[in-house]
Amino acid sequence: MYHFTYHVTWPTSTDGLLVPTWKIAMTLSEIADGKLAPRTGIKLDKISKRYGDHTVLDDVSLHVEPGTVTALIGPSGAGKSTFLRCINLLERPDSGTIQVAGHTIEPGKVVNNKDLAALRSTVGMVFQSFNLFPHMSAMKNISFPQQKVLGRTKEEADARSMELLERVGLKEKANQHPGRCSGGQQQRIAIARALALDPSIMLFDEPTSALDPEVGLEVLAVMRELAADGMTMIVVTHEMQFARDVSDTLVVMADCKIIEQGDPGAIMSDPQEARTRRFLRAVLER
Amino acid sequence: MTIMLTLSAFAIGIVGAVPLAVGLSSSNMLVRLASRLFVDLVRGVPIIVWLFLLKFGIQIGTFKFNPVAAAIVGLGVVSMAYLAEIYRGGLQAVPRGQGEAAHALGLTRGTTFYGVMVPQAFRIVSPSIATYLTGLLKDSSIASTIIVAEMVFQSQSFARQHPTVEGILPYILVGILYIVLSLPVAYLSRRLDSRMRKAVYA
Repeated sequence: MYHFTYHVTWPTSTDGLLVPTWKIAMTLSEIADGKLAPRTGIKLDKISKRYGDHTVLDDVSLHVEPGTVTALIGPSGAGKSTFLRCINLLERPDSGTIQVAGHTIEPGKVVNNKDLAALRSTVGMVFQSFNLFPHMSAMKNISFPQQKVLGRTKEEADARSMELLERVGLKEKANQHPGRCSGGQQQRIAIARALALDPSIMLFDEPTSALDPEVGLEVLAVMRELAADGMTMIVVTHEMQFARDVSDTLVVMADCKIIEQGDPGAIMSDPQEARTRRFLRAVLER
Repeated sequence: MTIMLTLSAFAIGIVGAVPLAVGLSSSNMLVRLASRLFVDLVRGVPIIVWLFLLKFGIQIGTFKFNPVAAAIVGLGVVSMAYLAEIYRGGLQAVPRGQGEAAHALGLTRGTTFYGVMVPQAFRIVSPSIATYLTGLLKDSSIASTIIVAEMVFQSQSFARQHPTVEGILPYILVGILYIVLSLPVAYLSRRLDSRMRKAVYA
């Protein structure tokens, strides 16, 4: 695959200031597609979240370089999903700052609806339970947000939807409703729906946990392709093989904190923390 | 008259219930409380009492409700309260992930509500709405008590003029008419429901 390096700058939508220049690597095919959406990183600083007395996130910081894949693993209740959901503000953290896609979010700062929509359309999200709209066909699921959020015409949106359905190998499902698709197919449609808004970051919240292992592979294959194309991705997952092969950084969360992060191979073969060791033994030896 | 009464009241109810249902699930406590109070107050009092209150209790200046208007407004407001509660249940039955997915895509609250939540909620509540409509059709007979010349009222006046066995005839006729009127509602509702089901699973 040929890589070209570009310097891209783009204005923030709030005050017209330029955010720092990032080096952007794009693949030839994407340039041919005309998809020059800037690749952006994510910077989360000291994120805390509490529900009443119950702490979910305790001072968690994470930097994600553009074009990299970060796998987020750890036991249930560690705060992985909540952390992920803070990035596109499905959860508002109590404290800490979030810098994503040219937006800076601080506690107490009012994010107007326009900025929120802009932020969310640059950050795609894929859920464990797919959450396709059951009353719309696969095509409509993908086209509807494009028309509403990006203002594309129906023809433009449908053309892009078709392209993406083909990419995830589900062209023939275009006119079917989600109820007629298998879990793996639904999840691939959901990925296509998120990609349709040309996001620069993709968040995956246990995308294969509701699928049987075989069907999960279809979904992982699509994600591997995305990663190879240089999409910035954060993946909450229990798929260790995927984390080892695809991710650039492995982040281990437990008890509302990040306890270890670094090269996936290194952490898996030689974890530094006892808690990591215990968790890895549990998932690897089953 | 029965059909006119039912349809007018139903129209008021089905439209008026929308803002009320939104109010019931509002995150603003004051709005929620006010809507809840309204719904519970309206539902807690029998329709016949509301109709009497509207017909004989309210006089604004020289304006006084005529029986038909009182019946339509009364039945309409009661429908509003009941339907609002049905809508609210429907909206709550839509899985949480639907709203979240819509928000995550950057859809506005309005688009999420009308494009994602309402169509799904409608599918869930359409049988309940049909049931309510047949109920309302029969409840419209209560309007006879405030001298609205609907079917039951006319049967009564016939019975008064014929105080023999044949006085019962109009009531039997009216009973059959109510059944004939409610059957198409039930039929249409079933057809609509199965069509929507097919649309989702086809």
